[in-house]
Amino acid sequence: MFRDNRDFMAALRSSGDLLEIEKEVHWDLELGAVSRLACEKDGPAVWFKRVADYPEDETVFANPMATWRRVAVAFGMKPHAPVKEIYAEYERREGRLIPPVTVEKAPCKEIVQRGGDIDLFAFPAPMLHDGDGGRYLGTWDLAVSRDPETNWVNWGMYRFMVYDSLHLTGFPRPTSHLGKVFQDHYVPKKKAMPVALVIGADPLSHFAAAATYHIGGEEGALAGGLMGAPLELVRCEASDLLVPAQCEIVIEGEVLPDCVALEGPYGEYPGYRTGEMGNGILFRTTAVTHRKSPILTVDATGYRDDSSTITALTGAIAIKRRLERHGVPVLDVNVPRDGAVHTAVIAVKYGGRQVAREILETLTSRRALLSKILLVEPDVDIFDLGQVLHAFSTKCHPVHGIHAVQYEGRANTLTPCYSQGERAAQKGATVLYDCTWPGEWSREWEVPVKATFATIFPASIRQKVLSQWRAYGFKE
Amino acid sequence: MASKNEPRVWETFLRRPGDLKEEVEIPLVIRDLNPGRKKYALRHVLAIVSRKAEEIPQMDELRVRTVVGVELPGSWGIRILEELPVELPGRPYQDFFQALKAWVADQKLDRERQKKYE
Ligand SMILES: Cc1cc2nc3c(=O)[nH]c(=O)nc-3n(C[C@H](O)[C@H](O)[C@H](O)COP(=O)(O)O)c2cc1C
Ligand SMILES: [Mn+2]
Repeated sequence: MFRDNRDFMAALRSSGDLLEIEKEVHWDLELGAVSRLACEKDGPAVWFKRVADYPEDETVFANPMATWRRVAVAFGMKPHAPVKEIYAEYERREGRLIPPVTVEKAPCKEIVQRGGDIDLFAFPAPMLHDGDGGRYLGTWDLAVSRDPETNWVNWGMYRFMVYDSLHLTGFPRPTSHLGKVFQDHYVPKKKAMPVALVIGADPLSHFAAAATYHIGGEEGALAGGLMGAPLELVRCEASDLLVPAQCEIVIEGEVLPDCVALEGPYGEYPGYRTGEMGNGILFRTTAVTHRKSPILTVDATGYRDDSSTITALTGAIAIKRRLERHGVPVLDVNVPRDGAVHTAVIAVKYGGRQVAREILETLTSRRALLSKILLVEPDVDIFDLGQVLHAFSTKCHPVHGIHAVQYEGRANTLTPCYSQGERAAQKGATVLYDCTWPGEWSREWEVPVKATFATIFPASIRQKVLSQWRAYGFKE
Repeated sequence: MASKNEPRVWETFLRRPGDLKEEVEIPLVIRDLNPGRKKYALRHVLAIVSRKAEEIPQMDELRVRTVVGVELPGSWGIRILEELPVELPGRPYQDFFQALKAWVADQKLDRERQKKYE
């Protein structure tokens, strides 16, 4: 497994999944545009070796895991591993936790800055989309924070933009683990919350920070489990938080309990810039440490960004686990890449009104991030979206097959179809399309017979046809 | 902090149409559009803005974007009167623009109170 981001980049280079651009590229929109188009074309990750206005040894690495090939490489699998196998591999490794260990010396401390030396503009944080609220230094990051009551350490990937030389503003959602701990345990006591913003750690640490993971769970141990070895952490300069020793950059600071800041708007993972602006949290930097020749990692957020693979994958497995716990007859879940983490395809043993209601209830009770759910039976390969569309088109009753819930105070404010008013009140809805046959229909008399090769011919004919396929003259 | 001699270019974001009152003192968040490493640095200021830039001396240029980041056509003039704190008092996750207005109103109240006692 990769000890640091540089080893991962070397592996991407050898699998043909890294483009190194030697030509100077400007941090003001050009870098964002190149990285964006690379996502949309399913292109390689990009290492920008020369960034305008910045010295040659400050470079930018964009879109670490925005394709399934790169996720596979990060997991140490063959680059062309099928999506279904990557899902299964994550599911296998996710249950195994290996707590991190602490080390004394670390590459991320090669340069240490405190006090008046701190200048956040010293890093080539890109203006990623024209009209964003600011330059985002934190996109592919990992924010370390701690619950002061239980000492639970949380890692999360949240966006942070540069406000001035000393301040960042961020948007860990109020419902995120950092947001929750901050509001529950720091704001009421008017205590500043120490946070360390880590940039350019090994790929699976960031994967763990972005993963949908239970409250109270430590993503540092999850990362160790995914890697199969304990992570090495080192103590911060200005707080006792611990950060991955092999990372590129650490911005240490504290989130202020009695301040509010402008944050956003930002072109987000649903593929739009919704009017989410203001209402951020303010981060005052207390120390900056980094490697020599630091590599700033960036996610060119939008359609087919890094969330389209990793948030989707971890979200799908989390959905499966929750539904299992709630007694739903779930078999498998796919959150397809082009659905911008808004659509889930769920295979169940059987559907119907009661199962539909149970699923909607379970998946919208705390954070309601999904907008559409397609419920299918096991005859559909949920990773084959052609089959999913076929089932949706033919089996979902346009009246009886549609179930919806509405909620307030916990909707996904980034969902583009909501109005500004709905967004402000966090009002939203989730709809479930039941693409299963009604349970009360008789299999002998009422359920239509699927007219595919696999389902409408006797086994003897199928065997004969398959064994003679090439003899008929077919090539494949 | 008053503007330097050469006019500079700033940009602000508005939540709603009509949020930019002209020819009165208003608190604003503005960002620096002048090229260089510090481009897009943000400031909180008290300022006067006007469409009729030529009428107010020593105006900088102000561009305006909406809540979804769309740039409005044309530009405004802006004269920066006072620097406000970046660490703006308020409740995390609550409305930033309201906090900015509330802070300025509080300051005014404080000044009036001080005058009374003098
Ligand atoms: C590139 C990227 C950027 C993200 N930015 C944010 C963000 O700004 N705010 C947020 O709440 N979640 C963001 N997320 C999603 C969170 O990382 C994800 O919900 C994670 O589970 C949060 O960790 P937590 O549950 O410990 O809060 C982002 C995910 C990715 C992949
Ligand atoms: Mn967490």
